[in-house]
Amino acid sequence: MNAGERLTDANFPAHPEKATLEGKNKFLGFWLFLGGETVLFATLFGTYLGLRKMHLDGPSGEELFSLPLVFLATMLLLTSSLTSVYAVLSLKQNKVRSLQGWFIVTLLLGLGFLGLEIYEFIHYVHEGHTFTSSAFGSAFYSLVGFHGAHVLFGILWISTLLARNWNRGITLANAPKYYLFALYWHFVDVVWVFIFTVVYLMGKVG
Amino acid sequence: MANHHNTTEPTVHRHEEIQRKLALKEERKHHNVSFVMMILLTIVAFFAIWSDKISDSFAVIFILTLAVVQVFFQLYVWMHLSHKGHDFPIWGMASGVLVAAVTVASLMAMIWTS
Repeated sequence: MNAGERLTDANFPAHPEKATLEGKNKFLGFWLFLGGETVLFATLFGTYLGLRKMHLDGPSGEELFSLPLVFLATMLLLTSSLTSVYAVLSLKQNKVRSLQGWFIVTLLLGLGFLGLEIYEFIHYVHEGHTFTSSAFGSAFYSLVGFHGAHVLFGILWISTLLARNWNRGITLANAPKYYLFALYWHFVDVVWVFIFTVVYLMGKVG
Repeated sequence: MANHHNTTEPTVHRHEEIQRKLALKEERKHHNVSFVMMILLTIVAFFAIWSDKISDSFAVIFILTLAVVQVFFQLYVWMHLSHKGHDFPIWGMASGVLVAAVTVASLMAMIWTS
């Protein structure tokens, strides 16, 4: 069977994302990549934890951070992680329209999160907390900004993936791609769990 | 989905399909439960910091524990690490987490902050 052929309910495999060798390779490779990303974020977390008190004359984290805003951002990202897992459930049932719908909800929630983060950064810059204002500033924007860049990349990824495959149904070629995007999106949420805990909540108690 | 091969196959096929549907229904339930759990863990973490009744040093350890629990929900339920055929991904992530822990600890220890 051609990998680009639209799957039907009759020939739909139990694991369309791993039904081809290419799909299996992508699956394994992507998990190893996520292991590497964990280490990459660890370097930024370690640096932040070492430098978080060094704010010089600028405002400290305790003065800057607003927990209601962070809570809202957390809920947006957590919900978007749920909607992307719903999309994977649709993928397993060969329901392409429902998959597209859930991924669009994921995309919109991701955009909402990104909007809040941009608003937050602009606010901080007005308060005198910039990338170059102190070691705390550099470490903060490197860590949180790098996570934000991951969210932005995810938004671009799912937009192009959906657009490219809009009328193709679910095929053996695109099933692994949808599946991997969902994994990536969950991972971005995993990193955020540590950011809201280590940066924002721990920042509030000193 | 008309099955026109022979007489026994339609029943076998239907049986498999029902089993698969039940498994997916169960999976959806797990996802929903884990979503509610993660929301609760998040609320408890924010509350521990917001409330004055909990000492700061205890709150830090407490919220870090909650974060680890929440991440397990993500990895094992939403990212399907609990499913079959995830041995290599678990090894990959476990080694990543190990190196990550050493990295965080050593960077924190190396940076001179006084």
